[in-house]
Amino acid sequence: MTLLELEDIEKAYENEEVLHGVSLGMEQGDVEVLVGPSGAGKSTLLRCVNRLTEIDAGTIRLAGESIHDLDSNDLRQRVGMVFQDFNLFAHRTARGNVTLGLEEVLGMDHDEAVERAEAHLDQVGLAEQADSYPAELSGGQQQRVGIARALAMDPELMLFDEPTSSLDPELIGDVLAVMNDLAAEGMTMLCVTHEMGFARSAADTLTMLDGGRIVERGPPERLFENPQHERTESFLGQFTDFE
Amino acid sequence: MTDGNTTDDLADERASLVEQVPERRRIAIAIVGAVFWTWLLARWAYHNALLDVIATALGFPDLIRSEVPVLVRQGWIPGGPFRAVADAVAGVANALGPADVLLEWLVWLADLAAFAATIAPKLADGAFITVYLTVVSLLLGLVIAVPLAVARVYGGRVLSTLSLGYTELIRGTPLLAQLFFLWYALQLGSVARAIGFTGEPPIPQAAAMVAVVGFTINSAAYQAEYIRSALQSIDAGQLTAARAVGLDMRGTIRHVVLPQGLRLAIPGWTNEFVYLIKYSSLAAFITVPELFRAAEGVGSDTFRYTKVYVIVGLFYLALVLTTALAMGRFEAAVSIPGLDSSGNQE
Amino acid sequence: MVVSGALRSLDPALTRTAIVLQSGDWGVVASNFDFLLVGTAVTILLTVSSLVLGFLAGFPAGAIEVYGTGRLRGLVAGAGVVLRGTPIVVLMMLFYLGLPIPQLGTVPGLEIRVSPFIAATLALGLRSAAYQGQVFRGAIQSIDDGQMEAARAIGLPRRGAVRHVIFPQAVRRALPGFQNEFTIVLKDTSVAIAIGLAELLTRAEYLFVQPERSTAMFELILAVSAIYFVLTFATNRTLDRLQTRYAIPEGDG
Ligand SMILES: Nc1ncnc2c1ncn2[C@@H]1O[C@H](COP(=O)(O)OP(=O)(O)OP(=O)(O)O)[C@@H](O)[C@H]1O
Ligand SMILES: [Mg+2]
Repeated sequence: MTLLELEDIEKAYENEEVLHGVSLGMEQGDVEVLVGPSGAGKSTLLRCVNRLTEIDAGTIRLAGESIHDLDSNDLRQRVGMVFQDFNLFAHRTARGNVTLGLEEVLGMDHDEAVERAEAHLDQVGLAEQADSYPAELSGGQQQRVGIARALAMDPELMLFDEPTSSLDPELIGDVLAVMNDLAAEGMTMLCVTHEMGFARSAADTLTMLDGGRIVERGPPERLFENPQHERTESFLGQFTDFE
Repeated sequence: MTDGNTTDDLADERASLVEQVPERRRIAIAIVGAVFWTWLLARWAYHNALLDVIATALGFPDLIRSEVPVLVRQGWIPGGPFRAVADAVAGVANALGPADVLLEWLVWLADLAAFAATIAPKLADGAFITVYLTVVSLLLGLVIAVPLAVARVYGGRVLSTLSLGYTELIRGTPLLAQLFFLWYALQLGSVARAIGFTGEPPIPQAAAMVAVVGFTINSAAYQAEYIRSALQSIDAGQLTAARAVGLDMRGTIRHVVLPQGLRLAIPGWTNEFVYLIKYSSLAAFITVPELFRAAEGVGSDTFRYTKVYVIVGLFYLALVLTTALAMGRFEAAVSIPGLDSSGNQE
Repeated sequence: MVVSGALRSLDPALTRTAIVLQSGDWGVVASNFDFLLVGTAVTILLTVSSLVLGFLAGFPAGAIEVYGTGRLRGLVAGAGVVLRGTPIVVLMMLFYLGLPIPQLGTVPGLEIRVSPFIAATLALGLRSAAYQGQVFRGAIQSIDDGQMEAARAIGLPRRGAVRHVIFPQAVRRALPGFQNEFTIVLKDTSVAIAIGLAELLTRAEYLFVQPERSTAMFELILAVSAIYFVLTFATNRTLDRLQTRYAIPEGDG
């Protein structure tokens, strides 16, 4: 089943055009990695999918339904998002970060929310840290709380916007491990990340975005080994040295 | 106006009257404060009408004496011994000649203590009204301040301009002028009397009600400024995250912004609490018999102005310092790791 | 009305015979315009004298709280707590009635007596010193330790480092706090009504407590409130502008 469909998405801020007719489709269970230089429009594209940003033209469909026919808060329950800077709620414990959406958005009662939150914290390896406040956690731990917070809402699709870019190198592994597990379990994931190891091992599709347009899109192996465009080659070339 | 833009600095620099005080002295203040409050609460209870009814019903008609008029209430701490000390030292001082400054100070202090013991009951009654005015106005003010601050930050053009206008106007004019406006220009006292209920507990006499209205309006503006700057210090990423899990604006403000903002606003709020205790003295100018006016009454009866105002100054200091200490405790009790009032998260 | 019975003498401004010519309530304001204008001058003068005293005493007080030692520092800090913890009206009464301020006659143009003016200046000024000292202390403490180290590293003695490196930065950083202090002092000059000083609010009250003008209470209070507002607003905007003009470019300091 086609879960997410983007058709000719256009978006401009004030007078700067950021997305010029982006189209792509993702099947349920697909993992897609989006790469591209800074300012390419990757974050903007992601934010359009859960309507943190509204598109100017085009259509976005989730499971066949135009997202503009949905209430934006309902849409956001169905689409989880993980941020580069974690954005944890500073006044709530790890557990409290997860239960907030469960109780206030899904209307779950407290005990049930706590139980579910703890299960998801366990899933990301943080059962022990449930009572810690964000300031008491390392970056990698904070990001995993961020993932648990999104997962707990039981989303159909997960968006990741550079989830490891703010982390010290030695902490990246834990977060990628969680993302790999999720991919293996069949979660549909649209990820902006420059972790090429993850792209190779977990992604079904790699998409190169530049200047608000898709330059090239296909299986990661093909883009790495046999890029069709010079732009893709030079961009991905920066990373292959480190592999 | 800039007093608006600078509340952040203010919150840091003025927030705590006791923050800079060394630990040992802080403990001393806490002990003296505890004794003071025990005495004050006991005095209030002793003449409290409600407690009198209860005690009488329980079979102790003489335990609580609310029927004793304020003017003839007796102190519990006898002034006699202090007076005796004063006289004795004065005798010695006279014998030694006029040169001995230290002894003269001792006489003055002993005399001050004796005088304080005699006028303390009257001041205790005034202090009750002072505390009443302050606490009621501060809480009512908070109820208004939260929506004012939210409107200012998240309210859109019209609401935020209205909120700004209110705070500028209130903060740009003297509190005393505001009280005069309510009391003389609007004649709110007669309005309150016309509505009735005034003077029956827990509603005070008309003038005190007008003072509560004035202080509430005034402190709402200041509290709103402190809360606003706290709200604005919350990192925008958290708001995005809240929306991304599906919370709407109201939910985001209620569950993410306010719990943090109100905590961050505590030092500013303490500041406002202290400010209000001190400025409640202006209620004297619209005839409210609070602490300062009680002192004035004693002053014009006894003509011992200097001593009266020194003693009433000490009363205010005790109220203010204990409040600042208690609020520091409160702040520590509700604090969250990584979220502190210096405005920096993490 | 004067609150305390102790104040037998009154400012000349408050003893003149009333002129009753007005028609209409705004007429009262209009025909006493000069009278209120002089009151405004008194208010401004009192604000300025108090702020100057506050700065002269507060600046060293703040420095002593940071760099001072032992008894002096304790004394300054203690005096600061007392001044900041006591209502301004109590301070004014205490200074007016408790200090041996000689009767120095009156200021002719302003129609006020000198002694309550001095008492009010002392009360507002010393309390302001306590606040300005805190503002300045906070500003000094906010300067990065690295500045002191760098100054010492180029060979400046401690005193020189404080004077040439720390103070200039601290004073600029303290400007918003000093500005705030201005507004507070200006508004609190109205409390001098307690000692019968014929400043702006006192004059308004003097006018409207007289029976023949009591119908103009609303207009008089509104008029003087407007004057206070214009004074605070105009000064704040001017100081804002000056601050932006003379600010040191700063990153995240
Ligand atoms: N809220 C906004 N208002 C105005 N312009 C914006 C806004 N958000 C993004 N832009 C602009 O849109 C363009 C694309 O931004 P976007 O954040 O989508 O890029 P990106 O591919 O995610 O880049 P990066 O790798 O740096 O995160 C940039 O030029 C940016 O300046
Ligand atoms: Mg981005």
